Amino acid sequence: MNRIKNTLRILPLLLLLTPAVFPGNAWAVQSHGAPEGLYVHQLAHVFYTAAMCYLFWGIRKSGFRPRGWRYLQAFCVFMVLWNVVAFTGHSLAAIVDSAHFTGGETGYLSSRLLGPLSSVKFLYYFTKLDHLFSVPALFFLYLGMKNIYRSSCEEEEE
Amino acid sequence: MNSLPMLPAIIVDMAGSFIIILLSFLSLRYAWLLIRKQPENFLWGFLFYFCLTLVCFSVSRAVGHLLKQILLISGNQGQWHVLAPYSGGFNTLLMISLAAVSIYYHKGIEGYHAIQQKARSLRDANAQLEVSADKLLKLNLNLEGIVERRTKKLSASEKKFRNFFINSKDMVYFCDSANKLVTMNNSGMEMLGYSMEDEPKLQLQDIFCNREDLDNYLETIIAVGFVEDLEVEFIRADGTVIYVLLSATAIYDDKREFIACEGIAKDLTRVRTMMEQLASSEKMASVGQMAAGVAHEINTPLGVILGYSQLMMDDFTPESEEGQSLQVIERQAKACRKIVADLLKFSRQSESARENILLNEVMEDVLAVTEHSLNMDHIHIHRDLDKNMPAIVGDAEKLRQVFINFINNAHHAMEEQGGGEIFLSCHYEEETNRVVATIRDTGHGIPGDVLAKIFDPFFTTKSVGKGTGLGLSVSYGIIQEHGGVIEVESPVTIKGDNIAGTAFHVKLPVALRETASVTNT
Repeated sequence: MNRIKNTLRILPLLLLLTPAVFPGNAWAVQSHGAPEGLYVHQLAHVFYTAAMCYLFWGIRKSGFRPRGWRYLQAFCVFMVLWNVVAFTGHSLAAIVDSAHFTGGETGYLSSRLLGPLSSVKFLYYFTKLDHLFSVPALFFLYLGMKNIYRSSCEEEEE
Repeated sequence: MNSLPMLPAIIVDMAGSFIIILLSFLSLRYAWLLIRKQPENFLWGFLFYFCLTLVCFSVSRAVGHLLKQILLISGNQGQWHVLAPYSGGFNTLLMISLAAVSIYYHKGIEGYHAIQQKARSLRDANAQLEVSADKLLKLNLNLEGIVERRTKKLSASEKKFRNFFINSKDMVYFCDSANKLVTMNNSGMEMLGYSMEDEPKLQLQDIFCNREDLDNYLETIIAVGFVEDLEVEFIRADGTVIYVLLSATAIYDDKREFIACEGIAKDLTRVRTMMEQLASSEKMASVGQMAAGVAHEINTPLGVILGYSQLMMDDFTPESEEGQSLQVIERQAKACRKIVADLLKFSRQSESARENILLNEVMEDVLAVTEHSLNMDHIHIHRDLDKNMPAIVGDAEKLRQVFINFINNAHHAMEEQGGGEIFLSCHYEEETNRVVATIRDTGHGIPGDVLAKIFDPFFTTKSVGKGTGLGLSVSYGIIQEHGGVIEVESPVTIKGDNIAGTAFHVKLPVALRETASVTNT
């Protein structure tokens, strides 16, 4: 009797496993092509830009008095600019590929962007200098943090 | 220009990467200092995590860029192609993280503001509490001071009025609307002769001697609200009457209804007695002057009557009817002359000697004359004569006459009852610098209604022919002439007990020391 009862209990499970006995094409894992990484990175730039705009607006709304917070706003502005430059640079990299560069006689350091030089190429070249925005941004962040810290110390002393 | 060199871009990329790492760490350091200083500050927490994420991003990106440049410069392009996706992936991930942290800023600021708001509210509340506590403390201190000062004032005032109430020599009392004496000071109780235990039982009816006076007092106090200088008689516990001057004020409640009264009574019995004595003295003085004038005027015709009657007696034999009549005329004329002489003594018109005398000796002289006849009537003499008595100045003969008068009066007062006692005492009263001689008998005493008249000339209670009524008047005049006083007590109070009889106190001033010493030598 007990055996019959145990068999009856397992029966529904066996019925569920039945399709596994007859396998076909399965699409369990979605494949990601090569451009996906670039798109994710670009979306991250957009997200980062939005976050910096939001932070700028938030600081302005907060109405903090110390000058350090204005430096932080400057940091946000430069970071937004950097994101725009970086985003543009990544977009132009698809157009201006390695075929537009020459290695030169002395290797990588003497490589050049080959002509004919169009506005796109000039823009691409400019985007390669994105540190001209990121470095000032970080410098303003440093100034902001330093100023906020000193203001905090002064307030405490008062 | 056909081409652009990439070297500037490579240099900017490498230098920028290095600077970014440096600046991000420096920023993180300040964020760390902030959060270490105020760990509970949410804003510093946000900045710290923001800087931390930025450091991660900066390091990831800058290291990736540096690695790229190094690998490309060193010609290892293949290796870079392997590493590039990882570097890009990390950069993407950290960029998103940085964006996510930034988005939390708003909520953080809201929380920070809420906390700041609460902190500010708490600070304000604390400040207000401190101010309130300070005010309360000051108020409390002031209140304590005020209460203490007022309590002291109240206590001093209460003490002052209580002392006034207790120490007042006049009667101070409070009685309720039912005329019950609620409170009375010690002087009042002593004045009335009650003990303090009797206070709760006493009523106004018990102390007012006359019902009419009480009715008058109550009617006035209810109608007018006060009584002023009301002259009434109070009755003491022992039944004696005292004469008081009473002032009282009504006490009303909030509805202006009479609820009690408070009063002050001054005992004027002594003053009244003194006034009576003064009036008596003035009367005596005027009587004395009149007596002196009459005596002086009568003396001359009396001398003529006596002279002519004696001359005529030579013309008749004593046995003849005329002789008998002339003897009667002579005797009565002599009696009249004696009365005139007594009147002159009373009015101090007769001559007096002034010498130092000892009162004890005067008393002994008097007793030597009178003691025998007193003993015959079973009257016994008790002497209490102080041996160290100072001398007085006066006329010994006249003083003997005074004491003989007193002893004769005592004799007459006791002879009807078949005997008695006479107490003679003589002592020096240091406080008043006087010598006091007291003659006390155990006779029937002097009735109260005649006590004030005993020194009046010709006043006597003796039967006709036994006395002229001049004995005490003459004594009064003599003692006054000596600068002394006579006081009478009847009945006599000894140690609080009233004893039947009469006591005469003769108080005479002591002679000056020099004079007294001369006499003693």
